[in-house]
Amino acid sequence: MMDLAKPQVMDRPTKSVQHAATQEKGVAFVEALDRIMGSARSAYDEVLSSLPVPHRRVERWKYTPVAAWWSEVKAAETATVAAAGCEPNPIPGLDAYRMVFVNGHFDAAASDLPVHPGVVCMPLSQAPPETLQAMDAQQPEHAEWFAALNGKFASEGMYLRVEKNTVLDRPILVHHRCTGEGSVSFLRHDMVIGAHAQVKCVQWSSASEDAMGAVNILTRASIGENTRLSLDKVQDEGGQVKHVAFEDIRQARGSRADVHTVTIRGQWVRNDLTFRIDGEGSHAELNGIFLPLDGEFVDNHTTVDHRVAHCTSSENYKGILYGKSTGVFNGKVFVRPDAQQTNAYQQNANILASDQATMNAKPELEIYADDVKCSHGCTIGQFDNEALFYARSRGVGLEAAKAMLVHAFIGEVLQGLAVPEVRLEVEHRLAEKHQWEIWSDHPDNES
Amino acid sequence: MLKINELQASIDESKILKGLNLTINPGEVHAIMGPNGSGKSTLASVLAGREDYSVDGGMVHFNGTDLLDMDATERARAGLFLAFQYPVEIPGVSNINFMRAAVNGKREHEGLDPIKGKDFLEMVKEKAKLVELDGRLRNRSVNEGFSGGEKKRNEIFQMAMLEPKLAILDETDSGLDIDALRVVSEGVNAMRSPDRSFLVITHYQRLLDYIVPDFVHVLVDGRIVRSGGKELALELEERGYDWIKEDALA
Repeated sequence: MMDLAKPQVMDRPTKSVQHAATQEKGVAFVEALDRIMGSARSAYDEVLSSLPVPHRRVERWKYTPVAAWWSEVKAAETATVAAAGCEPNPIPGLDAYRMVFVNGHFDAAASDLPVHPGVVCMPLSQAPPETLQAMDAQQPEHAEWFAALNGKFASEGMYLRVEKNTVLDRPILVHHRCTGEGSVSFLRHDMVIGAHAQVKCVQWSSASEDAMGAVNILTRASIGENTRLSLDKVQDEGGQVKHVAFEDIRQARGSRADVHTVTIRGQWVRNDLTFRIDGEGSHAELNGIFLPLDGEFVDNHTTVDHRVAHCTSSENYKGILYGKSTGVFNGKVFVRPDAQQTNAYQQNANILASDQATMNAKPELEIYADDVKCSHGCTIGQFDNEALFYARSRGVGLEAAKAMLVHAFIGEVLQGLAVPEVRLEVEHRLAEKHQWEIWSDHPDNES
Repeated sequence: MLKINELQASIDESKILKGLNLTINPGEVHAIMGPNGSGKSTLASVLAGREDYSVDGGMVHFNGTDLLDMDATERARAGLFLAFQYPVEIPGVSNINFMRAAVNGKREHEGLDPIKGKDFLEMVKEKAKLVELDGRLRNRSVNEGFSGGEKKRNEIFQMAMLEPKLAILDETDSGLDIDALRVVSEGVNAMRSPDRSFLVITHYQRLLDYIVPDFVHVLVDGRIVRSGGKELALELEERGYDWIKEDALA
């Protein structure tokens, strides 16, 4: 059996990769947050000082410039959707339980918590401290500086506990709204889902057009045996918002977890997903689409950690990059020595819609078992000129033809979204953002 | 309908069309034949507006407007249709949505509202009958996994949907078996009318047994070197192209 002494993503990076100037910026940022939030010292202070503040020589942040984060921070003035002037539920026709947060604050009046046998759902600030401590002990955030930052500062979010055999009748929508200038919102969503349960969750992040803040969301989920959790994660943030999101998902035997990440808008977005598969016969599904326009930056980092035998994972990320936008995809698949009979699939396809767009893509497979099937593919290309000419020769306009190809390109990921109303709204908003008309006369939309 | 005057075109700096003249009046069916490399498909591509080719000289008028001034979309909307020699597969775009975008593009050009879903589906049903296009193929991705014959039937179906003023069929007979050839030809013949013209590009006389042309032209080295009636095609079938090439050089 092979030795796993080499650095692993789950390990804590050492001080040796710290970069002095960046480290100072990070410390100043933490101090500024301490002042605004009046937070006490916590165990995470030590973690924060031992971790490198991300910079270009930290491999996982090589293509992710964090300088945008070091602007002045201010306490948020707005704490309700009523004051922010936005809908509590941004998804028309969606019948869902709802937790609404504005600039990191829970908006009770705009929320509609699940009242359902076997379900405990409440704002994190009201959750019993011992359950949170248990979660913290089980899934500590010791690997990434921004996640540890969340560990220290997040006092609000969703706490969800679902008892075994519970099938939740409606999805839970978690909507975060970012407004104003300089606010930094921390949310932590802790989910403990019992055996044979089924839960659909939608995380929707929105921002006002003049928002200039930052959002840091950490989602931790512990999924029981034969349990099914799906998370549709949509980022549609106007203004100039920086958004970092971590998902830390632990799967027990026979479970299935799906995370679909759709970035509609976002000035600076980093998604960082980790699936740790601890039980045999499990499946992890992670798909994403991102379509940054000029000046936008979207980074998707994923880690699938196959720790036991007979599990599968499937990953499909698709990007279309316009103008001077930048994208990053880094997909790590880790197959440990005991994870025989693993079947892991990873696909990342990108279209550069402009010759000034940049895509940094890197599949990373580390395989330490010998009886596994791992496949990956990564492409960066342009629009298919033959298909464009064919469509135009039928009288379809160039932009409409491109929209048609884009829709086809991202279609398989859109179809995978767990909640149909989310898919329709995502399509609608993408069409709006990119001024596509073609989807409005999609026959599916007519019934 | 179409007036081509001294048309010259090249690709990657190699000259393909070297002064081509052709006039097509409403309702006429013209066939263009010629050996490999004579410029037949280039002519089709240049007329449809493929940007890989550069037009180096000459004029093309289409119903009184300057065709070369329009992009591919505008030409299609103005009533020009090209049935591709190699129809393109577009995975993920259903045939029916593709046609709907095309029909609505044309309607927009004509100042009409987008077609209603029900009317569109009825139109599809009617036109699909013309080329016996299976319902299954209508809902599949454009040309994806279609056989050679199905692709060509789909081209004619699209032509029927768009009701062009001038249809250019670029080697529509290539890769077709006898039955498919008959179906495709019948589809084309059903669309013949006094105000619709056809330009049929083919290697073989066989297609012209089914789609009977009013005129046959022979293209050699980028120029039309001989024109005649449908009997010219029969003569070519019997004697080949060499005698015409020799005549042209002489």
